[in-house]
Amino acid sequence: MLIYTLRRILIMIPILFMVSIVVFSLALAMPGDALSGQIDPTNADPEYIEERREELGLNDPIHVQYGSWAANILQWDFGRSFQHQMDVTQLIGTRLPNTILLSVMSLIITYILAFYMGKYAGRNPYTKGDYAVQGVNYLMLAIPSFVAALFAIFIFAFQLGWFPSTGSVGSGLEQGTMAYWGSKIYHTFLPALVLGMLTTASYTQFLRNDMVESAQKDYVRTARAKGTDENTIYNKHILRNSIIPIVTLFGFDIASIIGGAVIIETIFSYRGIGELLVASISNRDSAVVMAIFLMLSVATLIGNLLADLLYGIIDPRIRVG
Amino acid sequence: MKRSKYLLGASLISATLIAAACGGEGENNEGNTGNTDNGGNNADAQEENADADADADADADADTDGENAEEGNNTADEGGEPSEGGSVTYGYTAPFAGVMDWAFYEGADDSYPLTIFNQGTLYNVNSDNDFELEPMLASDWEWSDDNRTITFTLEEGVMWHNGEELTAEDFEFAYEVIGHPDYQGPRAYTVEGIEGFEAYNAGETEEFEGVNVVDDYTLEVTFNEVRANNLENLWSYPMAKAHLEGVDIAEMGEAEEIRQNPVGLGPFEVSNIVPGEQIEFTAFEDYWEGAPNLDEVTYRIVDGAQAGELLAQGEVDIIELEPSQAGPLEGNEDVTIETIEALSYGYLGFKLGEWNGEENVMNREKLQDKELRHAIAHAIDREGIVEEFSEGYGTVINAPESNIRWSYPDESTLNQYEFDIETSQQMLADAGYEDVNGDGYVEDPDGNELVLNLAAMDVPADIAEPRAQYILQTLQEAGLNAQLMDGQLYEFNLFYDLVEGDDENIDLFLGAWGLATADPDPSGLWRSDDLWNYTRWVNEESDELLTEGLSEEALDRDYRQEVYQEWFQLVNEELPMLPLNSPEDIYGINSNVGGVSVDVTSAAGDAHEWYVEEE
Repeated sequence: MLIYTLRRILIMIPILFMVSIVVFSLALAMPGDALSGQIDPTNADPEYIEERREELGLNDPIHVQYGSWAANILQWDFGRSFQHQMDVTQLIGTRLPNTILLSVMSLIITYILAFYMGKYAGRNPYTKGDYAVQGVNYLMLAIPSFVAALFAIFIFAFQLGWFPSTGSVGSGLEQGTMAYWGSKIYHTFLPALVLGMLTTASYTQFLRNDMVESAQKDYVRTARAKGTDENTIYNKHILRNSIIPIVTLFGFDIASIIGGAVIIETIFSYRGIGELLVASISNRDSAVVMAIFLMLSVATLIGNLLADLLYGIIDPRIRVG
Repeated sequence: MKRSKYLLGASLISATLIAAACGGEGENNEGNTGNTDNGGNNADAQEENADADADADADADADTDGENAEEGNNTADEGGEPSEGGSVTYGYTAPFAGVMDWAFYEGADDSYPLTIFNQGTLYNVNSDNDFELEPMLASDWEWSDDNRTITFTLEEGVMWHNGEELTAEDFEFAYEVIGHPDYQGPRAYTVEGIEGFEAYNAGETEEFEGVNVVDDYTLEVTFNEVRANNLENLWSYPMAKAHLEGVDIAEMGEAEEIRQNPVGLGPFEVSNIVPGEQIEFTAFEDYWEGAPNLDEVTYRIVDGAQAGELLAQGEVDIIELEPSQAGPLEGNEDVTIETIEALSYGYLGFKLGEWNGEENVMNREKLQDKELRHAIAHAIDREGIVEEFSEGYGTVINAPESNIRWSYPDESTLNQYEFDIETSQQMLADAGYEDVNGDGYVEDPDGNELVLNLAAMDVPADIAEPRAQYILQTLQEAGLNAQLMDGQLYEFNLFYDLVEGDDENIDLFLGAWGLATADPDPSGLWRSDDLWNYTRWVNEESDELLTEGLSEEALDRDYRQEVYQEWFQLVNEELPMLPLNSPEDIYGINSNVGGVSVDVTSAAGDAHEWYVEEE
């Protein structure tokens, strides 16, 4: 197991190297750079822009640019955001907590929804209730998140006024107080709900199908034969067994949640990593774009690793691979 | 000050663009810088933009011109009495960078909060008085006999938020920072003209020779040469010396003293900053123009697409709107719509040549014939474009200048280029452009096919495409084979890369420029050696007139106006670009909020006069 883990970690290094090349080329391939938005004689002149390009190394040959970028990253220096005029690590640091809060809340929402819906559908397969759950699932899966987000804003924020539609925290609150955190969670709920709904479908279906399958197994028949009561059979014997494989989905979810957050955060003006990424792309703030892409790649790799390791723990046969 | 480029529009996402380029957009206001927002921003932007943004989007509209605070008196609500207390939320649609200092900030996103808590310049310029300079922090100024030295007399009793009094040293400090070799920001040109800049900027001396503090309230600045716009170009914001003195200039832009605890001298002081999301301000009772009415102001970033709805809901009280958002709000009792002519214009440029690395060369034959350019101008329905695509928010103009500034020429002296297909066809025929091969489009006088490629930006997203198609359609009706370059619209950054690089396929391009508030000097965009003279128009007379407009003689306003009048007539006749329209910035204001001055760069000026009407 240890060797397997080490091997998986080692293989991440060449993958990351290749990812870094792709990320770098993509950033470079974007038309314009951070300075091309600065054609603004009230604020600058062509000489200043040329000077800054030179200073930032934007005129160097590509391999030199890549080399210095990669070398800096190895020293945990992701460069400077041109737009925000601060270090990228620091900038991401200010946004990351919001994204983590959003992700955690959306995961919790996913788990709660999936657990109850899956449990109900699994216990009552092929009934109207089961079909209703499936219908809802496929609807959530089919609606693009940005559409769902706009509907959520329209209904819950504008029509009903239950939740704020924008921002990650209210005004006039002192950081660290209960009211501050309350306001944060209140602001995060709606985006987290939309984001959480996205991934709910797969969890629900997994849980349901596994329960339906388990219900046919011999040990369940034995339990029934012994006269164990139906609730105990489902809650103790079937559900516990069926939940385990679902845990492994968590690893894959890390990537999909962060990916989904890019869209959701932008629509809700929720200041997190995703919103920062979109804004930085439009501003050609390539240091930030590259750092976030790398971060997402690493998160995906780690998520997959985690998923595989969890599989391995649950099902020892996997380790051989 | 010179001009700024506008990102065309900012849409929701790209609103941030605008930030950088100064947003605002030609046809439709906005910018948001950037653009842009979406844009880049227009951002801007931009910035778009936006203009930039979005433009960027860019947004922004406004070209964020850092030099001049605004003051206007378009009081939103003539009704209720100003009452004490309450709070107001000022909205914007692209996240702010958080550089809370005039000398270091980059985009419109930061300029609004700066206006709220640190509005204060030597002189004041606004649209109410045709952008004439008015006293502000300097109660008076006087030129020396040789017109090289200007002496400012400062207001007494102006307090910084940290309790210090504003003195001439705060201005001297600002010049020393901006002129310093370690200064990283873009505004060195605002002190370049001061005597001794070269030596100081090279690090040869610690003394900035041309800046002289006579006493606490008297400041003397000496320029290298006499120019009509020395004062307008001069940096006019003080910097809180006591607050920033110990900070390393190379690091100043990211120092805690600017990012987290900025000190200003405006009516509100910063109490809390949530990065990129909101800034909270509390009233500063010692504000020199009188204590503000409100207790609190919040600057809040919201999603641009929701701006109209948030305003109607009362989530934000003041915000700039897109024309398409303003329409539905017009009958709403809770919202007052205010508009102001933007300091910007959209144009159709004719690519006449190329940049050879040093200067512009008019070497493209296709559009060299002035008659052809005139014919094209008559084939464009500018009124219709403003009416249909900007919901009527804007004015058709015939000079590349804001039509609300003193320098705008007398329209009656300009060719109007009315939309008339028949006139256009007639002019083409007269100039020798005839349809020789019977394909329905004219050939050039030598009988060669004439194809005109139009390059256009993809912002603002909802109208960019139909607008470009409409222009092509009327050109085709006139018999000109006009096409969208590569059959597509270009993203803001790419568009300006192509235009600046004189892509060989570009014949016509749809651009937009923002203008500086204080100074109408068109240099920077129009001279034969300006990189940003995108049409590559070279004209000796034009260069001479522009130089004349800055001469000592032009210190006399009337003379300067005459010179520009002549220059605008020249441009109007030669027509290297066809100005399309001067857009309007649209602000939505909550009907309970009064005292808001909507001006060309923002509605954030004079926040001390804002008040909330009691229900």
